[in-house]
Amino acid sequence: MQSSEKKPHPRVKPKTGQPSLPPTWRWVGDRGLWVATGDATLSCYFELVSRNLPEIEDVIPADGSLLLVLRQGAAPSADLRAALADPLAAAPDTCGALHEIAVEYGGAAGPDLLALAEAAGMDAHAYIHSHTAMEYTVAFLGFQPGFPYMRGLPEALHAPRRASPRVRVAAGSVGIGGAYCGIYPAGGPGGWQIIGRATADLFDPARDVPALLMPGDRVRFVPV
Amino acid sequence: MIEILRAGLCDLVMDLGRPGLGALGVPMGGAADPAALAAANHLVGNDESSAGLEITLSGPVLGFPAGGVAALTGARFAAMRSSGAAVAWNETLVLAAGETLSLGRAQDGCRCWLALRGGLAVPQVMGSRSTFLPAGFGGYRGRALQAGDALSLASGAGEVRLLRAHAPSSERDAPLRVVAGPQAGLFDDAGLAVFFSHPYRVDPASDRRGLRLSGPAVTHGRVELASQGVLPGAIQVPPDGQPIILGWDGPVTGGYPVIAGVVAVDLPRLARLRPGDAVRFVTIEVEAARQLATKRWDIEELG
Repeated sequence: MQSSEKKPHPRVKPKTGQPSLPPTWRWVGDRGLWVATGDATLSCYFELVSRNLPEIEDVIPADGSLLLVLRQGAAPSADLRAALADPLAAAPDTCGALHEIAVEYGGAAGPDLLALAEAAGMDAHAYIHSHTAMEYTVAFLGFQPGFPYMRGLPEALHAPRRASPRVRVAAGSVGIGGAYCGIYPAGGPGGWQIIGRATADLFDPARDVPALLMPGDRVRFVPV
Repeated sequence: MIEILRAGLCDLVMDLGRPGLGALGVPMGGAADPAALAAANHLVGNDESSAGLEITLSGPVLGFPAGGVAALTGARFAAMRSSGAAVAWNETLVLAAGETLSLGRAQDGCRCWLALRGGLAVPQVMGSRSTFLPAGFGGYRGRALQAGDALSLASGAGEVRLLRAHAPSSERDAPLRVVAGPQAGLFDDAGLAVFFSHPYRVDPASDRRGLRLSGPAVTHGRVELASQGVLPGAIQVPPDGQPIILGWDGPVTGGYPVIAGVVAVDLPRLARLRPGDAVRFVTIEVEAARQLATKRWDIEELG
């Protein structure tokens, strides 16, 4: 009879799967290459897109990093390594087109505005003034097609996501998620704090450029 | 033209997807097993990128008022033709005017692909005819097919040849091969050991956005990660420790730690998983993964 002693906890420390890469690079599967780009994310993004390297199928900017999607079977070329040799030392981001986005603040259009203003120690008027005084930069898109993650939110307006996401957020809703301001292009579930609603059509797959706001674009909000 | 006399659970128009639009927040999408759709297209004389139907778990009843040439690849489904003729998988099928093709439940696996000679003539949206359900665009009116829909076909070129395709051998029960990381380091030894040594079940809440797994929780120190780019096959671990393998229509950025990524040649195996199936994971080095060629379908002339 076998003894009934417990099997030892399995020790299956996996191999890293991340050999011979620069220290700021990581594989995501065998086609995704995550590269830390810090404050130079957008300039690295535009640089890579302009080089049009044959092994790259897609470049996805995010918060301080890029994800390069390589064509199946392709390895990173010397040109790619050179393009990203020292991304953290690259030129700071430069910015693109300026958009003015009209927003109806508060009320049914912005159900979280009053609570956020109170938490920030402001009245609604001061909160809206603070939000519209800034120029925002689209850092990246994600979550939904055309959903912009915008930097530039004054620190007093930073706010955590809702503990429990809403089942339905209206299309055009302007939200706060941590240090980011975003706009929901389509209705659906959402966890950001909603302060208002924009009428602009953020994403239309039939347009030549379907996303209204692209990485690097600048945004000013105008209250209506 | 084909008519949808009864819709299946989720019949979606698909081609090979729209890669290269991640910066707009648009995932690559497309057929969950692109080689299976390409083979079906080959059997009906189409370009391999023509649009066909991806059919999941339970299939539709299709009417062919003017007849047509069709082919099915992927999981076997219960299937019948009104003519009484057998419905062979991986073969060119010639349907007479007025015939119906009835698909029932999947017998094994989860999805099959139906190619139709000429290809489904829905408009291209952002360079592809694939349906993207989460945002409701592409395919047929951005949605799954419904009874009463009628879809036009483009006209086929050249003679109809009767062909048979041989699917590459599949390792049904082999573990999925993954490259560990990029955030494997955020998990403690116990979390990694749990993930790599226990089978996980595919949860019924899974869809083309992601395969939700249930099993022993993969523990990690609660960390707030900056949003990072992700791609199909990336395995996120939310705070509840139940991993999610991102699918073809998944988000392009995410904030959960990614413990590992399924390698490209194993992604089509995800298309076969149905709720309740078990999956296991094994690590592979990225250079070794890249050497694994996608297995080819062989096509031969019939008779």
